[in-house]
This record gives sequence, structure tokens and C-alpha cells, in this order.
Amino acid sequence: MDKVYFIAKKELLSYFKSPVAYITLVLSISVFNVFFFLIIDQNREVSLRDVFHVMEFMFLFLVPIMTMRLFSEEKASGTMEFLMTAPVTNMAIVLGKYLGVLVFFTMLISLTLIYFVIIEFFGSPDRMTIVSGYIGVWLEGAFFIAVGMMTSSWTRNQIVAAMMSYVILFFLYFLINFTKYFSGAAETFIQYMSTLTHLEHFIVGIITVGDLVYYLSGIFICILFTRLSIENRVFQ
Amino acid sequence: MIITKNISKHFGAFQALSGVSFEINKGEIVGFLGKNGAGKTTLMRILTSFLPASTGTVLIDGYDVAKDSIITRQKIGYLPETPPLYLNMTVKDYLKFSAEIKGIPAKNRRRQFENVMAECQLEDVANKTISTLSKGYKQRVGIAQAIIHEPKLLILDEPTSGLDPVQNLQVRNLIKNLKDQRTVIISTHILSEIEHIAQRVLMIKSGEIIIDESLDSLMRSHNINRGDDQSRPMNLEDIFIHHHSDQENDKKSHQNIDNESNNIDAHRVNGHG
Repeated sequence: MDKVYFIAKKELLSYFKSPVAYITLVLSISVFNVFFFLIIDQNREVSLRDVFHVMEFMFLFLVPIMTMRLFSEEKASGTMEFLMTAPVTNMAIVLGKYLGVLVFFTMLISLTLIYFVIIEFFGSPDRMTIVSGYIGVWLEGAFFIAVGMMTSSWTRNQIVAAMMSYVILFFLYFLINFTKYFSGAAETFIQYMSTLTHLEHFIVGIITVGDLVYYLSGIFICILFTRLSIENRVFQ
Repeated sequence: MIITKNISKHFGAFQALSGVSFEINKGEIVGFLGKNGAGKTTLMRILTSFLPASTGTVLIDGYDVAKDSIITRQKIGYLPETPPLYLNMTVKDYLKFSAEIKGIPAKNRRRQFENVMAECQLEDVANKTISTLSKGYKQRVGIAQAIIHEPKLLILDEPTSGLDPVQNLQVRNLIKNLKDQRTVIISTHILSEIEHIAQRVLMIKSGEIIIDESLDSLMRSHNINRGDDQSRPMNLEDIFIHHHSDQENDKKSHQNIDNESNNIDAHRVNGHG
């Protein structure tokens, strides 16, 4: 467990040693601020529902940029050999890297808590709905990060890793638009696979076991596939 | 210290190693020799459990590298051909991270960090970002991460490649100092280095071990078998070329035999046979 922490700490520090962390934070918060103002100005309601939708859409683009270097950079620079010949399990490497990005992502989300303070100051929002919305956005981001980490473990090229993440995430995000072409079990399956369906529940204040299972099993499967791919030298 | 039994490794149809068996005793300094692509790096990667062998077993201190890889990795310090450095980290941060993931207890970390900084003469660059260092310094940082957890076995894959003569001497002296405490396996193309450092030579050709002999007896046997007309005793480079030119000669002789048999066949077809 110590080694998971050391790897997570190293990942987090390496974000802040390059411009990536600062650019991502400044860019994301600036865009969120603009949308927060526009949404509140237009809707005139003390709710963050539409802000959460914007955040979800932005994370589709941002998360692959945050995750693309996780394994592909290690492979390209030869440091993968250093990690994988150190007395540390492959699972600890994967979990350490995952936690490093997750902490960074949590920091990014935390910066938006100011919106809650602002609407709390000017009105009486439904606090539990906002809390469940934040849980949903955080879970969705955690799932996106797991997908991004998995694609990063497939290649030594960071751009290819990001592109593969975009393909998977866009597929999951826009899947809901294709339900009209299906019926019965297929329609239900497509609805369940779409990320939009699940976040929508959290945003309106409903937390169901099905939604939690969706995100947590997605994260678990991606972590497992990442471990398998770093163990399988074909990907190296 | 190391027992390998019948190690083979193939990548698809390509056979990188075939039936490699040897034993290395504690405290030995062994030079791995072979042309590029002979299988040296593959063998080193199998010893460090970075790559699994297709068949065969490797025991390090009695532990199987496939089954008890975490225990064996703890006993090994490894410097790959390209030093595995995080270029955006400082030397200090990188070595501290190395100490952490190599499982050095917190109370010893500082002492071992300071030892390795002194041993590899890195104090002057402790706070410098690795990307700004010269190649010689980068190589020493690579060696520092390999020895920071005081491994019993040190595996160095071409530790002096691409260095200038001064840097080369510095790294060689560093390895010389290390050999008093550990078993060392070193692969290099600079054969004079092996003559200076190693006690034993393992020569690999096309994935097979063709020589496994102490350096002294190797030099003696090759010089005894030579004719008196040679003015200069053979050095390791001559022995290396001698063993690898055999292959070229074999190829040429095979080609000649093939050409001759083709000619004979052609004659037969034309009714001349």
C-alpha cells in the first residue's frame, strides 16, 4: 500500500512539474466560470444542474489530455522497465498512477465548490441535489480517468492514447442518441451503457445502486485491463 | 546466486534465446558478450523478470523469478541499456522515489540516499533537473538507482555506451568499486572493459551460449592454440572477432557449397551429369 502512495505522489508531483497541470486547471476553471455565469444569468435558478452537464462535456475533452501520458510516456522513455523491475506489483503501479490522476481531478472539481457557495449566498438551493450532482460528476470523471489510463497502457504514443480515449468516451457519451433505432433489451442495454443516463440521475438528486454499479464496475474493469496490458509484453 | 536452466525465449517466430543454462556464483563479475541482437538484453530482461521466459527457469538466491518475482526484484539492481530516468525530476527527487519504491525502510532511506550520492559522485548535481545533465551524469544517476537498495546482484546493460573516455573511466571506476560487495553482470561492446573488470565471460551468439569460461582460462586457451608466427597475444577483442568471423566464414562456405551444388544440379538438368 505504501508503494501505491509513493507512485501516486510521484504522479501528482510530475503534473505540477510540467505546465500541463497549470494549463488544465486555469483553462478548465475559466471555461467553467464563464458557463456558470451564463447559466445562472439565463436560468435565474439556484441549481447547478446545467453546470454539471457542462462539466461532464468538458471532461470528455480534458480527461484524455490528463491521462494520455500515464503509461505511454513511461514506455517511450524506458522508465517502464524501471517500474516493472522494481519490487512492486503491477497492480500497485496501476493503482498508484490512477490515484495520482484522481487526486488531481478531485482538486480540479474542488475548485468549482465556490459555485455552491455563491448560489447558497444568493438563494436557497437544494443542497442534497448539489451534493449528489458532485458525487455523480466525480464518479464520471473517475470512470473517464480509468478509460484514459487503460488506453495509455496500450501504446507508447501519447497522441494515439488520447485519440483512443476520445473514441471510447465519445462512444459512451453519445450512445444514448442511438436508442431510437433499437427496441426491447437492446434499447435498455444501450441506455444502461450511456454515461449520460447515469449522470442525469445524480444531477436530479437520485443515487441508485445501478448507477453506482455502472461507474464502479467500469472503473474496476478498466483497472483490470490496464494491469493485463502492462503484463502483456505485446503492448510494450 | 543465479541458476538458469534451459532458458528459451521466442517473439512470435523469432527465437531470441535457446537452451541457455549457466550458474553464477556469489561475488563473481561476469561479462556478457555478443553482437547486437545476440540476445544479451533479452537474457538480462528475463533475469530481472521484466520479460517472462518462454521455457526454462531462473533461480536467484533459490527463488524463482517467475513465481517469486517481488522477492527476486528486491535482490537485483538493474541498469537497462537506456538509463530509466524521469527527465523532469531532480536527481534528489528521482533517487528518493527510487528508494521509496524499492522498499527501503523509512529510517534507512536518508543514509542510503547519501551513500549512493557519494558513491556515484552526484552531490554537485543533487538539485539539478535530470534533463539538463550530461550523458555521463545521467549514466551515474542510472547506476545510483540500481544500487540504492543495496542489491546482492547488479545487472548493467551497456553502462558505458556513448560516453566519452573520461566519463567512461569514471563509470568503470564506479563499477570496479561496486564489485567488492556484489555479484555483477555487465554487458558491453567495449571489450577492454571486460578485460579490466570481469572474472568470467559468457559469450552469446544467436541466442545460444558459445563460451562460458573464466577470463584467464579463455585468454590462455586461445593463446596456447595459436601458432608461433603470431607476434601479439590475442586479446578479448581478437577472441570475439575470431568466434564471430566463424559465422561469416560458415555462411560463405555454405554459400559456396550451395553454389556448387546448384551448378551440379544445373549440369544434371542439362544432361551434362
